[in-house]
Amino acid sequence: MVADKENVATGAVEGETTSKKAAKKQAKEALKAAKKAEIKAANSANNAEEGGDSVDVSAGRYGSAGLIQSKEKFEDRKFVSVSELSQPAYRDQLVWVRGRVHTSRSKGKQCFLVLRQQSSTVQCILAVGDRISKQMVKFSGNVSRESIIDVQAKVVSVPNKIESCTEQTIELCIEQLFVVSQAKPQLPLQIEDASRAENPDDADSLNIRVNQDTRLDNRVLDLRTPANQAIFRLEAGVCRLFRDILTAKGFTEIHTPKIISAASEGGANVFTVSYFKDSAYLAQSPQLYKQMAIAADFDKVYTVGAVFRAEDSNTHRHLTEFVGLDLEMAFKYHYHEVLHTIADTFTGIFKGLRDTYSTEIAAVNQQFKVEPFKFLEPPLILEFAEGVQMLREAGVETGDEEDLSTPNEKLLGRLVKAKYDTDFYVLDKFPLAIRPFYTMPDPNNPMYSNSYDMFMRGEEILSGAQRIHDPDFLLERAKHHAIDTSKIAAYIESFRFGCPPHAGGGIGMERVVMLYLGLDNIRKTSMFPRDPKRLTP
Amino acid sequence: MYELKTLLPEYDIQLPTCMYPMKVLNNSVASEVIKADACSGFYNGNGNPLATSAVNCLGPKKNVCALDLDNLSAQIQNLLKSSNDVDSVCARQEKVLKQLQDLKQQMANIRASLGLCQKGPQHTGQTSLRNGGLREEPLHDIVINGHPNFVPYALLALKNAWKNLFTIDVRTFKHSTMPDIGKDASEFEKKLSQVKIDPSKPKVKVSLIWKNCEHTEMISSPTMYVPIYGEVNIIRYLGRVGPEEYRYEDLPNCNEIDAVLDICYQLLRCNTTKSRASMLRALNLRLGKQKYFGGDKITIADVGVHSSLKRLPAITSKDLTPTLTEWQKRVQLVTQL
Repeated sequence: MVADKENVATGAVEGETTSKKAAKKQAKEALKAAKKAEIKAANSANNAEEGGDSVDVSAGRYGSAGLIQSKEKFEDRKFVSVSELSQPAYRDQLVWVRGRVHTSRSKGKQCFLVLRQQSSTVQCILAVGDRISKQMVKFSGNVSRESIIDVQAKVVSVPNKIESCTEQTIELCIEQLFVVSQAKPQLPLQIEDASRAENPDDADSLNIRVNQDTRLDNRVLDLRTPANQAIFRLEAGVCRLFRDILTAKGFTEIHTPKIISAASEGGANVFTVSYFKDSAYLAQSPQLYKQMAIAADFDKVYTVGAVFRAEDSNTHRHLTEFVGLDLEMAFKYHYHEVLHTIADTFTGIFKGLRDTYSTEIAAVNQQFKVEPFKFLEPPLILEFAEGVQMLREAGVETGDEEDLSTPNEKLLGRLVKAKYDTDFYVLDKFPLAIRPFYTMPDPNNPMYSNSYDMFMRGEEILSGAQRIHDPDFLLERAKHHAIDTSKIAAYIESFRFGCPPHAGGGIGMERVVMLYLGLDNIRKTSMFPRDPKRLTP
Repeated sequence: MYELKTLLPEYDIQLPTCMYPMKVLNNSVASEVIKADACSGFYNGNGNPLATSAVNCLGPKKNVCALDLDNLSAQIQNLLKSSNDVDSVCARQEKVLKQLQDLKQQMANIRASLGLCQKGPQHTGQTSLRNGGLREEPLHDIVINGHPNFVPYALLALKNAWKNLFTIDVRTFKHSTMPDIGKDASEFEKKLSQVKIDPSKPKVKVSLIWKNCEHTEMISSPTMYVPIYGEVNIIRYLGRVGPEEYRYEDLPNCNEIDAVLDICYQLLRCNTTKSRASMLRALNLRLGKQKYFGGDKITIADVGVHSSLKRLPAITSKDLTPTLTEWQKRVQLVTQL
């Protein structure tokens, strides 16, 4: 509506000045004739200006589309997505495109717009001509960035590649332009800045960055960058592949409660919520419920859902709420049946991402330069003792029963990468002492246990084990760990009615995406991250 | 028979007064002695059967020569008498055996608490006669990166040739840069897995990774050694750590073997038929009338040549000389490529 008014006003001014300037204009026109012919391509340049200034020849062909309240259907408008525009079928055709104004630049009688649709961008051009009035060009140049517009335009191929857009071989000659939704002229952050490639080596490049907190405060704008678009599409891919692969392996998806009466993994790190007159907790993991589903003969189960951890740790890899991809599986005789299933699931996910999400990976890579994720098939499985041996060879003092410290974990990741050239590996047979009480000890060596961790780029992403399914033995182990058995009575009781041997593990989806893409912060892979310092948006 | 010359002339040995008997190292015996001689601060060597014999031998009173048989038997009789009886010797032996048993137990406990293999030292840790009895370091697991177009057939050849001597335990992986490994490599993988693994033999663990890489390369420990490039060099490495029968560095013709392996290296890098033919001529010359490249016995040179020829499908039986064809048949029996 604002645009409409402006339109009228400028029209009036133009009318007054026409007579004075007419002569001058014509003289100029003769000089520029050659140049214009080049730029305007299809338009007949010479007589365009003469009649154009007094009457707005483009009236009705631009302006605000008004509030779209589903009044009209416009079924004749054929919309084409930006990424498809370069197809030869659309060459020299009139098409409709809806997109955001990425940048706009008007100079005199021309206006260049870059239209963005998710990660794809295309250059649009408006030049004053017999169908395009000066007013229209001016209006177009004043449409604020990030506004959504509908354009009808002709697809024209360009002689030189347009480096600044994803569609480099074509541009759009706009015929009609309507603003669907106007953005505020002042943006809290510029998409261009937010999507600027991070290359610390290149000192010459423009070094304007958007702070992580500014990004998160204005997440809606930040999410529009090509890298973010790609990250969350890829994240959806991880989730979909996880579901598809496990479903194909005969797993059943279950949904577990998130409000629970007792802390599932120890008492600490749990959020308390008021529950009518009582208090309840937010689930730290679906562990107990997965195992109960196994005891209830579901054989192989997985669940995708929110998991809450009240850890006050402000690190690059901790969130207080994240999406857990958990699975649990009954096995016949050896927990390696499960270990291989989980490891193969990972390999399947990596392969799926490599094969079907290559454009997304490339888009993320454009902004955040990282090495592509490498893995082996079948996955590399090392024993904990072998890992310790490798660390010692590298000169690190570490005990046999000592848990891997974070620096050691990273170093081991680098050593494995150097030797096997893989970013994903499994470490099997962890020392019993550093695992939870319900972990099954190794039958051959009481120092170790039937437990495993999986690592991506040297960071742990999954921790799992064969669980003790014998209630008496479980009781014994709980006592050994000095755990109050009355508090876990229900857990132990659930094994009293017979339970198959089982093992499983849980993954943090955000962490998998972060490490697959080699990003440095988990907040980049959580759409609306929750950490100890952030509860909004 | 003839009489032995007495080695020690019979003369009196004057023990200097400044000497005193050595402390007995064996504690249990020592404690006994201490019990027996509780009255004196210094215990006397005569209380100990072993020390007694030693002192008796050298004792100035006896005037005996150790090599005089008559005297010796008399001395043994004497010794037996002086050391009370056979029982004490038996008891002593028992004690020593028991101590040994204790020690063994202790070792086993230590090993268990360290989480080591209960079976004792690994085969790879055995001492070798060939390197002067030095203890060999346990072998690192090694990683071999290979391109599916350049299958390292030598691995299979060595695995087959060493079937009864040494185990090469190969696990194969596909690297993410190599989604499809093709027919030859899959066939090779299958053949590798068919060779049985004998757990009693010394072994080396090999991870073969199909990867989009330029050279066949071997990494044993990234922190300690640099990678080894080229299949023949991997053969050399394996020849060095493998069974003794295939170590060639001490052989008189080790230079010859090295030369043959070098020809293989060049052969694999030949692009034209002409250069390949000249390499084959060189090989033919080296083989001459010998049964194998290293003489009468098969060596790693044969393995090298055989696997290189296998890797070059461009070389058909037509290109080979009759001697080479004959040789190939002989080697094929061992390597079974």
